Amino acid sequence: MLDTFIQGLFVVLEWQTFLVMLVGIFLGFWVGLLPGLGGTTTLALMLPFIYKMTPVEAFAFLLGMHSVVSTTGDITSVLFGIPGEGTTAATILDGHAMAKKGEAGRALGAALMSSLIGALIGAFALALSIPIVRPLVLTFGAPELFMLAVVGIAFISSLSGEGGRALLRGVLAGLLGLLFALVGQDPQAGVQRFTFGQLYLWGGLDLVPVLVGLFAIPEIVDLAVRGTSIAGELPPENLGKGVWVGVKDTFVHLGLTVRCSLVGTFIGIMPGLGGGVAQWIAYGHAVQSARDSEERTGFGKGDVRGVLGPGAANNSKEGGSLIPTIAFGVPGSSSMAILLGAFFLQGISPGPDMLDKHLVLTFSMVWTMVVANIITVAVSLLFLNYLAKLTLIRGSVLIPFILFFSFIGAYTSNNHLGDLAVLLAFGFFGYLMIRCGWPRAPLVLGFVLGRIAENNFYISTIRYGSAWVGRPLVLVLIALTVIVLFFPLIRSKWQESTKGETQ
Amino acid sequence: MKKLTIIFFSLLVLVASVPSHAASVFEGKTITIVVGYKPGGGYDRYARLIAKHLPKYIPGSPAVIIQNMPGASSVIAANHLFNVAKPDGLTFGTFNNATVIAQLIKVEGVKFDLAKFLWLGSAASDAVVLTVRSDVPYKSAEDLRKAKQFVIGTTGPGSSTHDFPALLKEYAGFDFKLVPGYSSSADVMLAIERKEVDGRAGSYDSIKPFMDRGLVRPILRNRTSAPGIEKLPVDENLATSQKGKIVMAVNAVPTQIYRPFVAPPATPKDVMKVLRDAFANALKDKELLAEAEKGKMTIDYTSSEDALKVVAEVLAQPPDIVQELAKHIKFGD
Repeated sequence: MLDTFIQGLFVVLEWQTFLVMLVGIFLGFWVGLLPGLGGTTTLALMLPFIYKMTPVEAFAFLLGMHSVVSTTGDITSVLFGIPGEGTTAATILDGHAMAKKGEAGRALGAALMSSLIGALIGAFALALSIPIVRPLVLTFGAPELFMLAVVGIAFISSLSGEGGRALLRGVLAGLLGLLFALVGQDPQAGVQRFTFGQLYLWGGLDLVPVLVGLFAIPEIVDLAVRGTSIAGELPPENLGKGVWVGVKDTFVHLGLTVRCSLVGTFIGIMPGLGGGVAQWIAYGHAVQSARDSEERTGFGKGDVRGVLGPGAANNSKEGGSLIPTIAFGVPGSSSMAILLGAFFLQGISPGPDMLDKHLVLTFSMVWTMVVANIITVAVSLLFLNYLAKLTLIRGSVLIPFILFFSFIGAYTSNNHLGDLAVLLAFGFFGYLMIRCGWPRAPLVLGFVLGRIAENNFYISTIRYGSAWVGRPLVLVLIALTVIVLFFPLIRSKWQESTKGETQ
Repeated sequence: MKKLTIIFFSLLVLVASVPSHAASVFEGKTITIVVGYKPGGGYDRYARLIAKHLPKYIPGSPAVIIQNMPGASSVIAANHLFNVAKPDGLTFGTFNNATVIAQLIKVEGVKFDLAKFLWLGSAASDAVVLTVRSDVPYKSAEDLRKAKQFVIGTTGPGSSTHDFPALLKEYAGFDFKLVPGYSSSADVMLAIERKEVDGRAGSYDSIKPFMDRGLVRPILRNRTSAPGIEKLPVDENLATSQKGKIVMAVNAVPTQIYRPFVAPPATPKDVMKVLRDAFANALKDKELLAEAEKGKMTIDYTSSEDALKVVAEVLAQPPDIVQELAKHIKFGD
């Protein structure tokens, strides 16, 4: 096994393979950076180029591209507050807030370093889990997936801010998110819900226009109102110096980064949870790491841990989501569905063979993700100081570009005017939420988990009746839900008691 | 005499202009193939494959590009092709084969008439099969009919994974328990593997890799056949009523024109001839076939006349059959 593992590295480093991988990385770099280009679409567009490649070359090319998209997507999220990718939106909350405080360099350093660690952990999780992947995935049936979604939704309690009023707002925002997830044709009876006779709404609301609207539009309005550059009137000399501070931050909070990477990997492994979920759960977990309520209120205003969590998770989930694709031929996300097409183009059937006959190929994928991310992060670190300076450009010059990319980014999800309507509607809504002090993260969490929860609840109930509630893993997950739910309460109680002791 | 000369020359010009007109339509131009789904899916892959090889067979070898127009299970793309797209031969498209059912049962939002589209034909057919996990004791359709509450996973009404077993349950005496809501057909396969469900229906092309792997075993199919499954019993022959038989036959039609390609209704005749010939020839192209084979895409050309005939047959169903169909079949992906 170890021989094969090392052999996997050597096939990736053969010059032809390495060359196509570099091309892939170059493409992925820009695709991630530009909000208008999604990683999934680009993957589909690149498929025809792999006809004449060997399998190892083909996957070095595709995965080289795909695995760096989330890394450079974080850069856009931090600098401009527009999600560079649908999977990098959570980085905005604290990353962009840091950029506004003049700490763009530090935020970028942290985002990149945590991305690298996330990618490495995800890749090695893929390698290590090969012997146990089949039983692991098969343990999670519809009831367990439903409970996982519930655990995710429970994170709303941590994402809502301190105090009863904030919690109420968070829960309401989460419910609203669940409601938005209902839009479209329901999969149980085929009934149209909340479509108002609009064909565009049959397929439900798309994640990208919703996210870009919720996050980018309020930032653009804010920038326009302030009339300054993103970093405001802060002295410019601090700006670029922060990169190494950010890199160091990653190691100061190494425990958190690793935990969030593992969370991302695990969510990636679960088929059907989708690419957008991991970052938000990781962000929720990062918020939980706050030691007291003072630290808690710092989240969303530029706490570096809010960058590290999602930064790590959105990369580590790529390794994770390859697992069901490779081992079962069941894609964990829409990009993986396209990658599955690549397997067929290469005449390879994903499934048990990949863990046996084609093991070298599987390991070459692991190494591709590792090498591609190391290269990308190394190259990006060289340019970060220049990138950070973008936050000094006057808002009035920057806004047209940001707005342009926001619109293009939203429009590319369906090539339909409806995308722009959704963008504007959620933009307005997001702005209102900020003005009135409502948290946006719970809404997104409810939105990305709503359909997963609904479908798996339905499947569980129709298949097992009420008996599914008694399944051992379900019980464990129920316990976990309770812990997550009451974590803020437990923490504050614990603080009170420790305070009492010290006094 | 002068009049005659004029008529003669104008006729000459007319005759001469037929082929050259077609060529000038395409010379230096770009053909757009509208696809009713996002990039990466089956429809998109077929369109891109054809786009790559079509220019060889069109005079003036125009560039061919893909425009993805997803939404409403292709109704948006079909509406666009019927009402908006310029009928100059530079635009045609491909969309959900079940739009014919949508038109028949009068789904809200349908603003096209498939019988009035100018068809290029269909690039493939694909059988629907019902498969069960290899370790269940039922080996034949008759065995399976004896099973009680046999659990079948589906992605929801409107897909063949759901409608095919639903009709068997209604009209052929199978005692199925349908579990809808899986996010993709591959997801249902995983549910079979972890024994959450015991069977799955769906496109033969997509199930075949799992049959080859020994995970599932085919029990029966619809009237569309494919190499290797010719001998399976056909659902229509198991129906217990004439009505059921007809409903099953109508439901099977989309699988015969599995990858439909159509042009806007007013596209000029001579241009259509060029497109139809090019479409037919491209699908015989050796390089195209080699690529399709490698990508496990079945190529099975149906001419425009045959495709239209099949569509007309469905749309001519009497109201009572349509009503019956609408009771059990929803339109969707």
